[in-house]
Amino acid sequence: MTKKILTSDQRDALQEVTNIAMGQAGASLAQVLGEFVQLSVPQINVIELEEINQALAMLVGATTVVSAVRQAFTGALRGEAVAIFDQEGCIELAELMGYEKELTPKAEQELMLDVANVLIGACIKGITKLLQTDITFSPPSVMAKNMPIGQLMHPSTMEWKLALVTEVNFALEKGRFTCHLTQFWPESSIVSLAEALDKFIESF
Amino acid sequence: MSTPILVVDDSAMARKMLIKALPSSWDVEITQAANGLEAVDAYRAGKAEVMFLDLQMPEMDGYEVLEKVRQEDFNTFIIVVSADVQPLAQQRVKEMGAIAFVKKPVNPAEIEAILKKFGVFL
Repeated sequence: MTKKILTSDQRDALQEVTNIAMGQAGASLAQVLGEFVQLSVPQINVIELEEINQALAMLVGATTVVSAVRQAFTGALRGEAVAIFDQEGCIELAELMGYEKELTPKAEQELMLDVANVLIGACIKGITKLLQTDITFSPPSVMAKNMPIGQLMHPSTMEWKLALVTEVNFALEKGRFTCHLTQFWPESSIVSLAEALDKFIESF
Repeated sequence: MSTPILVVDDSAMARKMLIKALPSSWDVEITQAANGLEAVDAYRAGKAEVMFLDLQMPEMDGYEVLEKVRQEDFNTFIIVVSADVQPLAQQRVKEMGAIAFVKKPVNPAEIEAILKKFGVFL
């Protein structure tokens, strides 16, 4: 996966912008959960549609059963953010958020949406602020529950053939909760992303 | 004499942003490192009177660099520069001996104030 759709400078800038934005998202999550959140180094990959599930399995772990929340963003930059939760971590999440009763599917869904909203919101806001662009986003929706990672995405419903995918993992220092936050920048939006990155680079 | 300073970050962009934020009248000799291992080598070579240190890095992260430097003679002012803005992250690096924590994106006035506070740049 070494296709050159961004220059190495643009790629490096995107990685740093993602790092800063995800740092803010991690701090928001830490505040909500009252626990220290460990952040990974952002990964940037170019993924072809046919290999998307395989690529996500590489990032998240092939045997993992996950639930996921998606949120589309539009405006000067367009794309989609997908928060992927490990199944075991979801139960722990409920405990951290103070759910003492049995976790109903509805409550679990609300929890995931809340956490995804915190992460995606902080992250997208961070990116738009750094790149000085306007983005609006749709409400989050649950796209999968208890699904093997290899079946998460449905390539036939996607409107792109090639996408730039950024990923950061948020993990709790104590416990098993993890959330992989990915952003998909479809090929049609890569040109505007590259332009925004160039402006950012030139400002330093 | 120029002050030897070390800028440690896996992102070249981040190093550039940091270097741009340093006081323009500060007479420095800048060395750059892209991970913790390179940072420790440069530190041992005497290239880090002041070290600007990122936390999340491949190979060896910033916490490990702090730990290594602490085990040795600890002859450097370490300013942690990170996107991880959790209060606990700031507290931890200060407990490990960093003189300050600066969040990304860096603010030149903040860097200058820290350098002046510790008498590194007057």
